[in-house]
Amino acid sequence: MENLMSVSHLTKSFKENKVLNDVSFEVHQGEVLCFLGPNGAGKTTTINILTAALGSDGGEITYKGRPINRQLRSYKQALGIVPQDLALYEELSAEQNLSFFASLYGLHGPALKKAINEALVFAGLDDRRRDKVKTFSGGMKRRLNIACAIAHRPELVIMDEPTVGIDPQSRNYILDSIKKLRDEGMTVIYTTHYMEEVEVISTRIIIMDHGSIITEGTKKSLKEGIENEKKYTIDIEENGKISRDDFFTVEGVQSVKIEGNTIEITSLKGIENLDRIIALLSDRGEKIKNITSENASLETVFLKLTGRKLRD
Amino acid sequence: MRRFFSIFKMDLTNLFKNPVLVGYNTVFAALIILIMGFLTSGNYADSRNAYQYYTVTMLVYGILNGAMTASNCFMERDIKRPNLRIIYSPAGGFPIYFSKILASFVFDYVLHILLLAVFCPLLHVTLGSNPLYFIALMAPVEFAAVALGTFFCCVFHCEETTSMLLSLTVSLLCILGGTFFSLDGLGPALAFISKLSPVKWLNDAFFAVACDNSLALFWPVFLGAALISALLILGCRLFFRTEDYL
Repeated sequence: MENLMSVSHLTKSFKENKVLNDVSFEVHQGEVLCFLGPNGAGKTTTINILTAALGSDGGEITYKGRPINRQLRSYKQALGIVPQDLALYEELSAEQNLSFFASLYGLHGPALKKAINEALVFAGLDDRRRDKVKTFSGGMKRRLNIACAIAHRPELVIMDEPTVGIDPQSRNYILDSIKKLRDEGMTVIYTTHYMEEVEVISTRIIIMDHGSIITEGTKKSLKEGIENEKKYTIDIEENGKISRDDFFTVEGVQSVKIEGNTIEITSLKGIENLDRIIALLSDRGEKIKNITSENASLETVFLKLTGRKLRD
Repeated sequence: MRRFFSIFKMDLTNLFKNPVLVGYNTVFAALIILIMGFLTSGNYADSRNAYQYYTVTMLVYGILNGAMTASNCFMERDIKRPNLRIIYSPAGGFPIYFSKILASFVFDYVLHILLLAVFCPLLHVTLGSNPLYFIALMAPVEFAAVALGTFFCCVFHCEETTSMLLSLTVSLLCILGGTFFSLDGLGPALAFISKLSPVKWLNDAFFAVACDNSLALFWPVFLGAALISALLILGCRLFFRTEDYL
């Protein structure tokens, strides 16, 4: 795929706190590049620098081969940005919001009308176009928030956690919309700490933690190292008698994490050892409440790389 | 230019849709003129003089409080978030704060002129033989006040801090300037302190135009306010940083 944007050696500190540390990556034309990481990983700071709203302390960003600060106006024209917080005028209608925000990108007259209609259809809000935003549900506002960013048909859409705090139906609608944008050839940069979303929409993933990129690749390549693993999550009634080391006596167990009454065990896929784990717990007098088994996921990748869960 | 006009129109719409700001610049201003005029009417030989005094001084007070209109237009929480999209757009930095200044100016100026249009005939208040001078003198002072509000926002990056500081400053200067009651009769020391307040000069300039048909203070105040406005806009240019909006 053609290279659209290059970010090299980006650094940023807020006073003494270093929030980005030598971040470098590339964005390819037509891909959905997902930034995955827990809160405080540096995703939003990276996004803010990419939008040119925040300056960096060091590093360079080039868009189509030219530094963005030498083509700021045309660079901003090519961007569509969905901020984390809802950026809508509540007292105005959906149509008025779209009209204003699209006009900032130079649209007017019939082109503006066409863009508004398409954006409203995209957001599934065509029938509510004249209603004030303050009467919308959280999910509808989120959809309009995205529509306002894509009305002017940008080349690159940057979305910063656009599904925070919404119902599953609206989330699915948004994820389907992003796939639609990708199919139409738009390039999307998407940040989230929901690995389920990344699994659904990403073509490439960058995992961040503590202001640095830990790893990057496709879903397939990231899971390669752990595709022979599966994860058991066991809820027990009261934990007091069993320790992590006990589980390593069972063949195939790779890692163990005990948190309160929940035990997470990563085990090799080919070895059927669940009955032995259950027997071990029974021997120790633990009462099992629930057991789930799942194959390796991006969550597992993150856990393996950082030693903690995405939402820790 | 089209982008700037879009932003300006949106800022103006948001101001006129804000019932608190509309009420503050009309109903509150009217009530304070009526109450202060009524309470002090006994101190004047002709009760109309009390209303004349407070229409002018409260108008000056209202004009200076226009600084808070600008801070609200610029960084009020519900407005600030959608304004973020303007930052992201190719509009550039200057139209963002200058449109707030211009919209706040038009909003305050229009409402204050409407207030005068109602109160002058109702309370027999005079604006001088040619009211256009009075109206014209209001313009640069209104502009300087809203530019001050925007400048404070650029410096302090926060509407609450800006409004608190402006409210304190304006109230203090207005008290010293004799807006609520004249300090001239309270001894030479207070009269001297009063003269230090720029609000006193403003009041004197407006009274000179309205009551004495004198333009002696018109041009100094007009040009002084215009110069201050220009300096404050320059200050906004120096202090405005898009990241303060994030």
